[in-house]
Amino acid sequence: MKWFPSFGFQRRKRELQEEIDAHLQMAIADRVARGETAETARQAAAREFGNIPLVQDVTRDMWGQAWLEQLGRDIRYALRQLRKSPGFSITATAMLAVAICANSTVFSWIDGTMLRPIPGARDTGDLVSLQRGERNFSPTPPFSYLDYRDLREQNHTFTGILAYHNDWIALTGGAQPERAYIANVSANYFDVLGIKPALGRFFLAEEETRPDAVTNVVLGYSLWKNRYAADPAIVGKSIEIARHPVTVIGVAPEGFVGAAPGLRDDLWVTLDPLGNDVFRMTHRDIVWLIVIGRLRPGVSRGLAAQDLDTQMRHIVAAYPDQHLGDNQITLDPMWRSPFGANGYMAATLPILLAFAALVLLLTCANVATLTLVRFVSRRRELAIRQSLGANRMQLVWQMVLEGAVLSIVAGTMALALTMWTSKTFAWFFPANSTPLALNGYMDYKVVIGIAVSSLVAGMLCSALPAWRSSHAPAIEVLKAESASVSGGSRNRKLLSGLVVAQIALSLPLLICSGLFLRTLRNLAAANPGFQQDHILTASVGLNIAGYSNDEARLIRHKILDRVSALPGVEVATLTDWIPMTLIQKRTDAYPEGYVPHPHESLLVENAEVGPRYFESLHIPILEGREFTQDDDQKTPDVIIVDQTAARRFWPGQDPLGKRLRVGGSLSTVVGVARISTHTFVNEAPEPMVFISYFQHPGFETMVQVKTEGNPADLTPAVENAIHEIDARLPVFDVRPMRASTQMASSFAVIQSALAGMFALIGLVLAVTGIYGVVAYRTQMRTHEIGIRMALGASRVDVLRLVLSQGLWLTGIGLALGLAFALGLTRLIARLLYGIGANDPVTVASVVMLLGAMSLLACYFPAHRAMRRNPVTAIREL
Amino acid sequence: MSEEVQYKNRIELLQGTLDMLILQTLQWGPQHGYGIVQALRLRSGDVLQVETGSLYPALHRLERQSWVQSEWKQSESKQKARYYRITAKGKKQLASDLGRWERIVEAIGSVMYVKPEESES
Repeated sequence: MKWFPSFGFQRRKRELQEEIDAHLQMAIADRVARGETAETARQAAAREFGNIPLVQDVTRDMWGQAWLEQLGRDIRYALRQLRKSPGFSITATAMLAVAICANSTVFSWIDGTMLRPIPGARDTGDLVSLQRGERNFSPTPPFSYLDYRDLREQNHTFTGILAYHNDWIALTGGAQPERAYIANVSANYFDVLGIKPALGRFFLAEEETRPDAVTNVVLGYSLWKNRYAADPAIVGKSIEIARHPVTVIGVAPEGFVGAAPGLRDDLWVTLDPLGNDVFRMTHRDIVWLIVIGRLRPGVSRGLAAQDLDTQMRHIVAAYPDQHLGDNQITLDPMWRSPFGANGYMAATLPILLAFAALVLLLTCANVATLTLVRFVSRRRELAIRQSLGANRMQLVWQMVLEGAVLSIVAGTMALALTMWTSKTFAWFFPANSTPLALNGYMDYKVVIGIAVSSLVAGMLCSALPAWRSSHAPAIEVLKAESASVSGGSRNRKLLSGLVVAQIALSLPLLICSGLFLRTLRNLAAANPGFQQDHILTASVGLNIAGYSNDEARLIRHKILDRVSALPGVEVATLTDWIPMTLIQKRTDAYPEGYVPHPHESLLVENAEVGPRYFESLHIPILEGREFTQDDDQKTPDVIIVDQTAARRFWPGQDPLGKRLRVGGSLSTVVGVARISTHTFVNEAPEPMVFISYFQHPGFETMVQVKTEGNPADLTPAVENAIHEIDARLPVFDVRPMRASTQMASSFAVIQSALAGMFALIGLVLAVTGIYGVVAYRTQMRTHEIGIRMALGASRVDVLRLVLSQGLWLTGIGLALGLAFALGLTRLIARLLYGIGANDPVTVASVVMLLGAMSLLACYFPAHRAMRRNPVTAIREL
Repeated sequence: MSEEVQYKNRIELLQGTLDMLILQTLQWGPQHGYGIVQALRLRSGDVLQVETGSLYPALHRLERQSWVQSEWKQSESKQKARYYRITAKGKKQLASDLGRWERIVEAIGSVMYVKPEESES
């Protein structure tokens, strides 16, 4: 009852009525017993009782529920008032709904990515991502199995530490092989995450390193549903992965797609499921595991990092040769984990949310202007209510309530809109080879966010104008004729302040969006150092489909021969990496004779590429030669380094003929390639080492074709050529290179698209805001202007009078906005490319644009005022 | 409106005392609103005439404070009425109200009946 005060209210009202009736009946009965007639008794009892409704009223006050009834009355009154001015109500609601939706959309994206890093996992706030050594944007897996196991067993601060490694795999056994994303996981993987199986069981501790056991697999929910038709008896059945029989032991629950934020796993096996990866299970210098730990209750991240760092130092001391370079352990909460997508999200989305918040503030200022004007036009009504006894708080409350009603309606609309817009996030990511699982998400957090922002917006929009309007002295208002006061000088100041605020808020939005748009243009125009226009790439699932090394080698050669012979193909080569797809491979490299400083990072990026790779991409070889068909397993290992690597390892020397230890083998440098973009156009170049594909085949087999014409036209021919060799070869991700490399600019696209949209809203609001205020104030001064003109003021004087007032406001707004913008652009400086955060051209053009639009907005009312006939103007009151 | 203000003032004026009188009446047994009015009038020799506009708000407030409980019952004259009963909490409150009342009466008395010689000295 206490929680739902309206419940039972009617019943209590009825009971009170009955109680009073009983009182009267008894009084009448007593009087009749004393000998009075029924009629006189009734009258006397009623007289004695007093004013019945009044007694009911004061009694109901005691229930503590009177406020509810009052609230109902106030809301009905507010609705009536809003219905009276539908233009205002609809405009204000729509503007607020759009602004709230902008916020909730970005927030739903944050909610779906950063706040929900591992869907389905328990208490993700306690999970931390472990990184060893150098921190960068998309690090490679940092741990070897043995190091991971030591940390897992020797730490004092975690309830559990899991490890995983993602790979592509082919599901064979069906008619066509199907590619799936698989994760090798430690046996405690699901336990640490707190995931319960939908069917069957997960891995047991003893299964982690037991190669003799039958290989077990856990299926992801959607794979189970789609490929295995949600077979309820799947547990215990054998399926084929990469041509190996494996037993399904369980199915993961719906929604869980793995521990890497933003990436999707389709199925899970143990770390060494076939027992043939003994090498990487037993070598401390083979780093391949991504590690996540769950903190013990009450343990801080800093303490845990210290603990792990101590353990790591013991390991390094025991095995120094396997731990050259930096070994410092750092921990990140999952929302900004460098592994998976959240590193990128954390760099992009919060800034967009800040922009959206600006838009909301701006909208509030705009709606507040409209509200104030509306209250001024209602000041007679307010004055009458005041003189009838309403106190100031009641008036303010009533006006604020109108704002609250508007904002609640706007919030509801925003909620409905966000249901749809939250799912638009995935649109920004072009088709690519990464199994992205990125999208917005709607849960209670988004709903709370909408509720809070609409309430705050409602307050901002109405409280200030209401407070101001309630100041008007009732007597003055009722006495004075409406035209003689334009709402009083206080209101004028508030209106001016609101206009200044709108301009000051929209300027930084416009500047930031200008900077983002120019960044996008610079990125598109930037020369990445390679020619990607006539390149087609196709992945062939050789490794993942379970071919032996010898079979795979043979097939690769056949593929190269066949594809090279296709008409329209200029060059065909192999690679295991496409630049600018956010995928990077790093490995330690130790030059012969180079003495690293202690804890110096020795990581280089690397790629395995085939003969004529550099030719196909037009990357010049500055010294030496590129790989040939003869650089195969029969000849000594050779590598090609880029300029950054050459300068890094052999500054001032000729790198040709120098030797570098990469991935366990000592290789001779045969060429130096010109620097080219690896991941982002605006990256700080990292050393790059190219390895001959035929000497050390990469994990991925990608055919890279330089075509004469449109690369997309060759797609069927290339696919056919590969399938002619073996029809069961999985071929996927066949697309022009330009499509793949769009991934590198997708975040710039998100930033500029949203910032541009927000800035456009800001511009429209600011311009309509200043137009509205200048028009309104000019309207209010019609009488005065008429007098001025009658006394001899020229039309130009009138024009100047109105314009100067608008321009004065614009000037102040622009000055404040500039100061604000200078602070804000510093935040986005990191995200810009080819343009300074305070780029004078952008700033100047935005200031001019906003200034010109404001001038135009002031010109119309000025022009109207100028054209008035002074005689009618004076008459108009 | 003025009438309402008048009622409210009276409640405030009598508040402590009226509460105490109602609770005391209910000490003698459960009673309905009309019965309380009659009982107070009889016991006070027609001096205390409680207004319904004070009585019912007071009863409902006492109920909200859990000093009394109410239930619907048939009266002796077969009239269905709402009977109020004092609770343990109400009894405690009555004791403290009574204590305060006695102190006030004593204090007022010692002010009003001062002997003239003492006040002069």
